[in-house]
Amino acid sequence: MRRLAFLLAGLALLGAGCGGKSSSGTTGHLVIAVDVPVTGSPYAAQTIRQGVELAASNLNGGGGLRIGDKSYLLDVKLYDNHLSARTAVQDTRRAIDAGAVAIVTDGTGVDATWQLARRDGVSICITQDGGTGLVDPEQRPNVFRIAPTNHGIAFRYAEYLIPKKLKVGLLSDDSAYGREGAADVAHAFSQNPEAVALKLTLPAGQTDLTPQVLRARRSGATALLVWGQPPTIASVLSAARSIGWQVPVYTPPTGSDPFIRQQLADHPEWVDGLTFAGGRLTAEVGTGPFTNFQSQYETSYGADEVGVKTSQGQSVVQPPELAMYSYDFIHVLVAAATHAASVEAGKVTDALNEVTTQGANGDERGFNEHSHEGVVDDDVYFARFHDMTYTPVTDDPLSATLPLIPQTRSQ
Amino acid sequence: MRRALIAAAAAALLAPAAALADVQQVLLPGPTPFPTPSPPLQTVGAPPWANLTFKIHASSDQRVRAGVDASGRVVSVRALQRLHLTGTGDYLIVVSAPVLDVRPGPGSESEPGQRRGQILWSGFASKHRLLAADASLRAAAASPYLPLRLEARRDGDRYVLTLTNVTRTSQVAFQGTGKPAELAALLDRTRRDSLAHRRLRPAYVTIEGLIAKRTQKTSVAAPLRVEGKLRFPAAVKEAINTERPEGRMVRFAFVLGDERPLTQRIEVTGGGGDPRLRLEARPDSVVRGLTPPGGAPTWVAAAARQRLDPDALLTRLIDTRMELVRADQFQSFLGNPDQLGSDRTVYVYATSAAAARATAGSSGGSGGNGPLMALLAVGGTLLAAGAALVAWAHS
Repeated sequence: MRRLAFLLAGLALLGAGCGGKSSSGTTGHLVIAVDVPVTGSPYAAQTIRQGVELAASNLNGGGGLRIGDKSYLLDVKLYDNHLSARTAVQDTRRAIDAGAVAIVTDGTGVDATWQLARRDGVSICITQDGGTGLVDPEQRPNVFRIAPTNHGIAFRYAEYLIPKKLKVGLLSDDSAYGREGAADVAHAFSQNPEAVALKLTLPAGQTDLTPQVLRARRSGATALLVWGQPPTIASVLSAARSIGWQVPVYTPPTGSDPFIRQQLADHPEWVDGLTFAGGRLTAEVGTGPFTNFQSQYETSYGADEVGVKTSQGQSVVQPPELAMYSYDFIHVLVAAATHAASVEAGKVTDALNEVTTQGANGDERGFNEHSHEGVVDDDVYFARFHDMTYTPVTDDPLSATLPLIPQTRSQ
Repeated sequence: MRRALIAAAAAALLAPAAALADVQQVLLPGPTPFPTPSPPLQTVGAPPWANLTFKIHASSDQRVRAGVDASGRVVSVRALQRLHLTGTGDYLIVVSAPVLDVRPGPGSESEPGQRRGQILWSGFASKHRLLAADASLRAAAASPYLPLRLEARRDGDRYVLTLTNVTRTSQVAFQGTGKPAELAALLDRTRRDSLAHRRLRPAYVTIEGLIAKRTQKTSVAAPLRVEGKLRFPAAVKEAINTERPEGRMVRFAFVLGDERPLTQRIEVTGGGGDPRLRLEARPDSVVRGLTPPGGAPTWVAAAARQRLDPDALLTRLIDTRMELVRADQFQSFLGNPDQLGSDRTVYVYATSAAAARATAGSSGGSGGNGPLMALLAVGGTLLAAGAALVAWAHS
């Protein structure tokens, strides 16, 4: 009889350990999947994953998520989508089978995965791709995003550049990212055709873009807005500067990717003046919240070294912007589960529309029935590189209010 | 409950002061608190977690459209709120409302978000920004806070529309012995603010001796200026409490409150059916209640000419200020995140599209059936004649 009791107790414990979303004990597990291009875009993948893990670790350290008389620990499962939509679909199936309540992704394959996830009520949060159409609260009620949108960036650029009376060359590469961005930029500048010198598509992956840059110069362009992958931006800068053309170059958030500075490390002056748009890293409360987050992040994972140095010999690090987005989503997700008083995926997804938390930068993060965008267009700012680090520009009303985020570490 | 608390707090504040001082300064009503919690509309959901920082200011103008059926019952409520932000900085605004759906209104420079019971705005304002929300509200939740009640009925050839100002509420007020000259000056100041449609500024009155709570609660209503028209299917024969009828159209304009009745009854004879109604009601200034006596240009001048009863002056001052506070309360049907910002609301009551269709259907129905009935009658007659002919032929 006693052995039978032990056997039953053992089975109960095993059951608890194997639980996906819940277990019969007082502690359950809440699975969060991270589907990112580990082998396709390692920097983005790593920082997104680490943001999720940091949030999970913090929450688990405090006893996990408490719902009723039960606690739930957050389990993070990593999948590599290889920047492939087909792989993302497979990953989504596996994540759902593993009992995931949410999938955090860079955005790869969301057009193909959202319906799969929706069937099980699982939410998807995009933390990098700003593509228009990926997020639609009516058509895709389970898809959310915490990252600047292409639409917002394009319109902010139009609002920023058109008053400068520049003749802008709109260049984009032929990657999906470049094509989507080109469409948004064309729309944003459509009311002011006089501000556009030319529109040109660049072959992604081509290292020598001199012919295209020369063509842009001949068109009378006095500025270039380059929407493309980091290698494309590096190639445009390289081509323009090597022919002695000091044209100002503007880019989407990919302009801040460490790859560009690594590629141009031998000519740091070629990076000077490069302006990119991104989501603000600080709120009106100042740098405190983001600095705290960055400090936690670096304590756990080390600083994201860019691999270049300033002219003073200081090592340059990349502020963990993408990590902040994925970190924030986990906090919003947990707030939603608490609001729903449930860890059932569908209920948590519905509750995501009803909650707001304070983000790592001190700003509020949340979604609502009409907007599943965690970064509003107004939060897009511009920053300009000098000496391998960047500073918010001073000729834009929002950017001018933002403080500098330290990006160097002493050796 | 809230009014009881306010009364208790006032009594607690007044009692020791009265005991200690022969002459004391007592705060007059206005600009706040409002006598009731709503308007602005409140919802049961999570309370707003954010407001504007001191860097941003907001003024609000609103157009609340109440759709009414043929009996005057409110069947839909829609609010267009335009928040004009000034200043540079972040804003995060939560407006409580029983919202069914919200869309950006004309000219909006941002898109509103929606949660259960909340309209959300978030972004960065650079000097100026217009946030316009066009919100459909749950009629059952919003209509109790509309300022006007309509009741329409048709009795044969007579159509009666009764309009009632429903902003009346009861409030606790104090009484005491004031100084006529000061009271007159305060009445003049209150009058100037009222006529300029300015929000009241805080003011104190000097009271000599003890202060007492009035034995009866004071009944306070916001003056409402109402202007509207009724369009009937056919010509109107006669109309009471309106301008002279113009064919099928009857126009009316009056103020409900401010020493005038809170209810007006419009009677129309003829018209051939239920009318389509459209009226605008707006909280108005107190004019009559603050007009100096004897044709004097100001209360101070009136007090110089003749002795004015200080008790009556104090009562008038308090009551009219309460009316202005009540009027100010109805200027903000949806909340303005800036407590100090200006608010304007126009309430539009109009026959709802569904009711209008029903009216058109019913009035058109009798007319529309006429030709059909005539055809049937003619057809029936022909059939009967044919049958009679056949019967005669075979007889």
